[in-house]
Amino acid sequence: MGLKCLAQHYLKSTGPSFILTKKNKPLRRRTASLSKMEFVNPEGLRLDGRRPMEMRQLRAEIGVVSKADGSAVFEMGNTKVIAAVYGPREVQNRSQQSNDEALVRCEYSMANFSTGDRMRKPKGDRRSTEISMVIRQTMEACILTHLMPRSQIDIFVQVLQADGGTRSACINAATLALADAGIPMTDIVTSCSAGFLNGTPLLDLNYVEDSAGGPDVTVGILPKLDKVTLLQMDSKLQMETFETVMQLATEGCKAVASYIREVLLENTKQLESRRGV
Amino acid sequence: MEQRFANSWRMTVNEKKFIETALLSDLRTDGRGPFDYRNLTIQFGSEDGSSEVQLGQTRVMGFVTSQLVQPYRDRPNEGTLAIFTEFSPMADPSFEVGRPGESAVELGRIVDRGLRESKAIDTESLCVIAGKWVWSVRIDLHILDNGGNLIDAANIAALAALLTFRRPECTLGGEDGQEVIMHPPEVREPLPLIVHHLPIAVTFAFIGNQSIVIIDPSHLEEAVMGGKLTATLNTNGDVCAIQKAGGEGVLQSVVMQCLRIASVKAADITGKIKKAVELYKTSRDLKKIKRHPDSVNISNKLKDMEKPKLKLEKTSGSQSDDMEVESHSSKKDEHKCKAVIGGTSSWDPYSKVADADELKESLASQDVETPDQKMDVTPHEKQQLNVIDESLRDADPSPSLSVAAEAGEVKNKAESLSDAVKPKHKRKKKNLSNSDGS
Amino acid sequence: MRGLQLSLDKGQKLRFERAFEVLESLSSKSNSDASVIVADDISVNNEDAILKGHGTAEMNDRLVATLCGVVERVNKLVYVRPLRARYKPEIGDIIIGRVIEVAPKRWKLEINFSQDAVLMLSSMNLPDGIQRRRTAVDELNMRSIFEENDVICAEVRGFQHDGCLHLQARSQKYGKLKRGQLLTIPPYLVKRRKQHFHHLDQYGIDLILGCNGFVWVGEHVEVRDDMIEDLSDKSEQQKVKSWNTMGDEEVQEEYTPPDTRQNICRSANAIRVLSTLGFTITVEIITEIVELSKSMDLDVHEMLGAEFYVIVAEKEAERRSLPTKRR
Repeated sequence: MGLKCLAQHYLKSTGPSFILTKKNKPLRRRTASLSKMEFVNPEGLRLDGRRPMEMRQLRAEIGVVSKADGSAVFEMGNTKVIAAVYGPREVQNRSQQSNDEALVRCEYSMANFSTGDRMRKPKGDRRSTEISMVIRQTMEACILTHLMPRSQIDIFVQVLQADGGTRSACINAATLALADAGIPMTDIVTSCSAGFLNGTPLLDLNYVEDSAGGPDVTVGILPKLDKVTLLQMDSKLQMETFETVMQLATEGCKAVASYIREVLLENTKQLESRRGV
Repeated sequence: MEQRFANSWRMTVNEKKFIETALLSDLRTDGRGPFDYRNLTIQFGSEDGSSEVQLGQTRVMGFVTSQLVQPYRDRPNEGTLAIFTEFSPMADPSFEVGRPGESAVELGRIVDRGLRESKAIDTESLCVIAGKWVWSVRIDLHILDNGGNLIDAANIAALAALLTFRRPECTLGGEDGQEVIMHPPEVREPLPLIVHHLPIAVTFAFIGNQSIVIIDPSHLEEAVMGGKLTATLNTNGDVCAIQKAGGEGVLQSVVMQCLRIASVKAADITGKIKKAVELYKTSRDLKKIKRHPDSVNISNKLKDMEKPKLKLEKTSGSQSDDMEVESHSSKKDEHKCKAVIGGTSSWDPYSKVADADELKESLASQDVETPDQKMDVTPHEKQQLNVIDESLRDADPSPSLSVAAEAGEVKNKAESLSDAVKPKHKRKKKNLSNSDGS
Repeated sequence: MRGLQLSLDKGQKLRFERAFEVLESLSSKSNSDASVIVADDISVNNEDAILKGHGTAEMNDRLVATLCGVVERVNKLVYVRPLRARYKPEIGDIIIGRVIEVAPKRWKLEINFSQDAVLMLSSMNLPDGIQRRRTAVDELNMRSIFEENDVICAEVRGFQHDGCLHLQARSQKYGKLKRGQLLTIPPYLVKRRKQHFHHLDQYGIDLILGCNGFVWVGEHVEVRDDMIEDLSDKSEQQKVKSWNTMGDEEVQEEYTPPDTRQNICRSANAIRVLSTLGFTITVEIITEIVELSKSMDLDVHEMLGAEFYVIVAEKEAERRSLPTKRR
């Protein structure tokens, strides 16, 4: 119920801005309107009522696909992503088998119903190919692949609802699914995005803010080592501003990390307690 | 999903070790320091909007073409910009024929993000009739040789090609004022694209877990690296795009340090691109003066005479090419533009970019000697010289020139001078009649 | 909850939660903070000489978990026992696998491990029970022993030099499994015990709890019958003397009485319920659940209803709290 209400509220709030972005096509006018468009109101609240440094509601659930070795659903506000991990299992394509490490594969897809305009998108378009690769390389960096030679790990991620920050949500879901599958990792990877609109750094952009054409910085970190493994940015940003935005996104990642750790620990404890002695 | 390992070349263990240990003492296999860029050469093809970039052993070709299309419905008065990448299996055995692989897609996306999201190209100026016709600019990036760091090279190739590209001017006309009239380049000078700024991609590789950072990784270093970061910046100190797709984690401070280094390198590369483009533009302007009917005559004569001199045949070959294109175009008036571009086809894509000195020389020679046929031949000669070293040594341009001059002498001397005054398109007709006559 | 899509009414939900609370409180008494997740520090109390076991790694001079699970300490060895993970073979484990490929001199089996296991022709007893070199004829007749997609039971022999996992089946109790069903449960729910083959006499069924999380519930087969069966198989291909009664026996063997079938399904459902709830699976508990369902006069299919889940959870909570009271 709660979610439904929220979604409706969200739709209402997106309505006018949608038209705005569609109406103001010329770039110059658009940038002008961008500055006119109020993404942060004088009270310091964003379109969906958040503070600039506030994240959307996080929700995670482990074990949603019974056949998979590990699976998870991750929600950031209205963005909802499901991830399933199969493996380590026998390599399907023998020629890809590696004798000293596991092969990691990833497939990202967006459900046709995930966005406002429901249309059939060709499978394996450039964007999803790139995101698949990005997720794969990000997860590969933390999986201890050398412990599982001659095997392969498949990560499947699907966006069920897209409302900005799908990339981050996918990585968070994939981390949870991998941890659930009992795959050894050096650290969990968490991701969060941040932007810069109306001269204010904003954490965790939603769709409206994302499509405003401003900069969008997606960061993925290894929280334990405090190292950046994923970093993607669009649009234009002064270097100093970029640093603050990246810093903000990193803080977001840390918040996500503490949430994910909580969920994982709870899950582990529950499993252990159920299993009994 | 992907064919990552198929055919790919794998590195031996000791090579890997060597590269890693050498880097600990700031040494790279090719003798560079960690933050040295490889040698960058930018050349331009015969047509506007084509470039070839050589970065160390990496070679990337960029082509820009344009076409009138219907705009996207949500952006009726913006032109479009699309990037296509072609990873030829010729360049690297790991590239496969057919659908673009992951790396090809990533490269395209990075270049695309750098150019488009930062609004480097003014797409609004590409609009002809809002909602009906806009120019669609297509950038094709061909990887000819993979020596590592394809992204940077491809990005530079795209920029260089965009900077030299010119689209034919078109105006609205007809009864309702909605008809698009294309002006052939010889009627109206083609228009260059409006490029606001140059987003330069600079790639760093992270090797080993001691966080060794190197710039512009070579093919070997790419096989060893644990992760890479591509920062796209312009000279205003703006970050236009960043891509670090997973891999080895690095500290935030290292990222910022990379960005600072990248901005220095970006300024450096921007300078190089601008210089190369300037040179190309001057030479292009020069060629406009050189266009001449004589060439046709000379070449015809030469063919008749069948002088077996190597040098001569070369030049005549290229000139007769010119002639064919021109005569063809004069039949179809609407395609005149092509003819003019084709006219410069003797500009060898493989030749080096003309040095400033060389240009000055040729200018000077024109100033002093001014027989038009000579003017016509010299630039060709210059390029040939660049390519063929032997000919450079033994064949002085003057003897062949004199032959050429002799050949064309009779007919040309009188006409050519008067021709030079005439407007271009008229000259064209003359040209035709000349070739017919001979 | 994993794989549990039940429509519980309010009362059931409450009871369910209460049962789990009891379980949680019970387990938290025994091991308070042994649960770790990826990248958690493992405190080693500055002991120098510790042995890092599975699921641990050293990072910046600290011991860090690389898995989610429970920290176990055996003398100086510190390791993390993962909960949900694929099967990790140990020598001597009794496992159940599915043949996926008949390769030269070997079968490849899927056993829920990161790679396929190998059962060499030479490491299994020939059906005729004779010890001899395997000939080319044996090799050609491999399909008559196990075919693709057969379910078989074997024992882990060990890792070969090339990293392949090898199995063996050098006893009559191993071999092809017939007339029953295969269940897949998370391997961590099966405890390694002395006995993995169980004959539930009262139901006339066999229960094999494979260490790899594959569980076989099938009609009881006498080991002697097993031999005959194999022999009869054999007799078709290899020229072992044929049994006069073989034809009759085969017909007899193909026939499983409905009662037995019911019992197979009932036991299988009991295992399904237990594994969905995430309870350890042992013969005792399975028989208990089966008896429970019988005493409640439930049909086999009703065992998968919401009410039975709640009852099983409550029963389990009750059962586990009993021994502590005794203490």
